[in-house]
Amino acid sequence: MPTETDRLNANKLDYQEVLRDVARMMVRLKRPDRLLKIITRFIDRQFGLTHTSLLVLDPRKKRYVFVNSKGSKRLPVSLVKFDVDHPMVQWFSGFKQKQPFQKEFLFLSDVKKMLSRAEYRLASNSKADQLAGIQKAMQTLKAELIVPGYFKDTLVGVLMLGRRVNGRCFTKQEVTFFQTLAHDCSMAVKTAEYNQSLVEQNQELARRLEEIERMRSKEQKTYYEIMRSLAEEVHAKEPNIFGHVSEVERLGLMTAREMGIDLSGKTKDLLSAALILHDVGKIGIPDSVLSKPGRLTPEEWKIMKTHVEKGARILEPLTDFKKVREIILSHHERFDGSGYPRGLKGDQISIEARIISVVDSFHAIVSSRCYREGRSLDFAIHEIRNCAGTQFDPVVVDAFLRALKKELQKKGEIPRSLLEYAAG
Amino acid sequence: MMKKLLIVDDEVEICEFLKSFFEDRDYRVAVAHDGVMAFEQVGIFKPDVVLLDIQMPGLDGLQALKKIKEKYPKMKVIMVTAVETQEKIEEAMRLGADNYITKPLSLEYLEKDVQDKIELLAKGV
Ligand SMILES: [Fe+2]
Repeated sequence: MPTETDRLNANKLDYQEVLRDVARMMVRLKRPDRLLKIITRFIDRQFGLTHTSLLVLDPRKKRYVFVNSKGSKRLPVSLVKFDVDHPMVQWFSGFKQKQPFQKEFLFLSDVKKMLSRAEYRLASNSKADQLAGIQKAMQTLKAELIVPGYFKDTLVGVLMLGRRVNGRCFTKQEVTFFQTLAHDCSMAVKTAEYNQSLVEQNQELARRLEEIERMRSKEQKTYYEIMRSLAEEVHAKEPNIFGHVSEVERLGLMTAREMGIDLSGKTKDLLSAALILHDVGKIGIPDSVLSKPGRLTPEEWKIMKTHVEKGARILEPLTDFKKVREIILSHHERFDGSGYPRGLKGDQISIEARIISVVDSFHAIVSSRCYREGRSLDFAIHEIRNCAGTQFDPVVVDAFLRALKKELQKKGEIPRSLLEYAAG
Repeated sequence: MMKKLLIVDDEVEICEFLKSFFEDRDYRVAVAHDGVMAFEQVGIFKPDVVLLDIQMPGLDGLQALKKIKEKYPKMKVIMVTAVETQEKIEEAMRLGADNYITKPLSLEYLEKDVQDKIELLAKGV
């Protein structure tokens, strides 16, 4: 059986070990509540007290609240608070600017002794009042020893300890140990508060950035909507073109899908936008040219052709749409390199622009007033096929006609031209 | 005459702590853990003052307050609440509560408030 001295020695070693553990944990723990709980539980188990309670400063509310309590006479957590003007808080806050490990702790027995000393009462009434208040609080909370914890000059918490169940007194060494723990708890609380405020600042920053991004994308969306309605208006002004911007969009997406282009998320949005906006530059073409019923003169053609560059310029404010601008700029390029404005060739022309070129031409032909429904479809298909390899990318043409056939098959009205196409 | 206090809270630990706090100050104390039990205790124990928690399962503090004040209009009732929801406090005051205290509470203030109510009763207010 171990002697009392053995036990004390064992305890001594244990303290150092615990303090090291605590120091290690402090560094790791972002939130101190776990550490405070561990410390409270450790004291409770190690010393066999009626209760071990921890009072911690809530800086926002300027009050001290019990956050942890263990032992048979434990206190209900979060029920009792001490305001900053409480005698105990006042007493301990009066120890500012002193070295650590001064005799800042208070035993109930010492408080009683000090109060009974007449000279103390005479020396300072306020100190005596504080001691009376402390005595009352300690008696009420069945505390035998109270140990303050500081961070810099702030009283961060108070470790409140009940009687030892076995009736023994606390040793000097044990009190020093409690002081160290109270100090560590305070450090942990303050460090966590600091970390928390950093986290909050970061969150605030992230929130603002998000807000800016949201406003920006909202602005862009509005701009896009305006562009879209302008594009529709432009087409409405052109003679012989009935149809709709959305029909070109539908045909284009259908072709892309047939080609196996991945149309999830952003890719689809980009292609849609390009299909819808490809002729938006025609806003800048005078109505006398745009709405002219007959053939255009070479001069007028020159003006008409500028719509691709005008369109690209109009889309400049849409920073998300860089790629769309490039597509629009290329939608009148020809596969053999004889198109405008840059005379790009083959896969120098982006695939989206090559798709637009096909579906735009097709739609222009079928919706032209000059042809009757049935005939115009056959005619348009022939035209597109004839120009595969010169004006159009043959791969795109192939995909487009396959997709078109599938669609018309569903309706049960396959034109002759596509029957041939299927045979061939 | 012995001062009588009924403490109503669904948390047993809180009841036990406050019971021993007031017993040390020469009160006779009874406890209840919900509104129904509280109303029964009011009839049996006939307390001078009731400390009544607002948030409780079943019959909550406000409903219990209503029943108590209907039957014993002179009994002093102090509401205790964990969160200061203005709505509930206003409702409690409308139902005749004599005061309210928010948790965490200052024991000094609590003791003084209960004592004040006892003195008001003694004066017949
Ligand atoms: Fe065009």
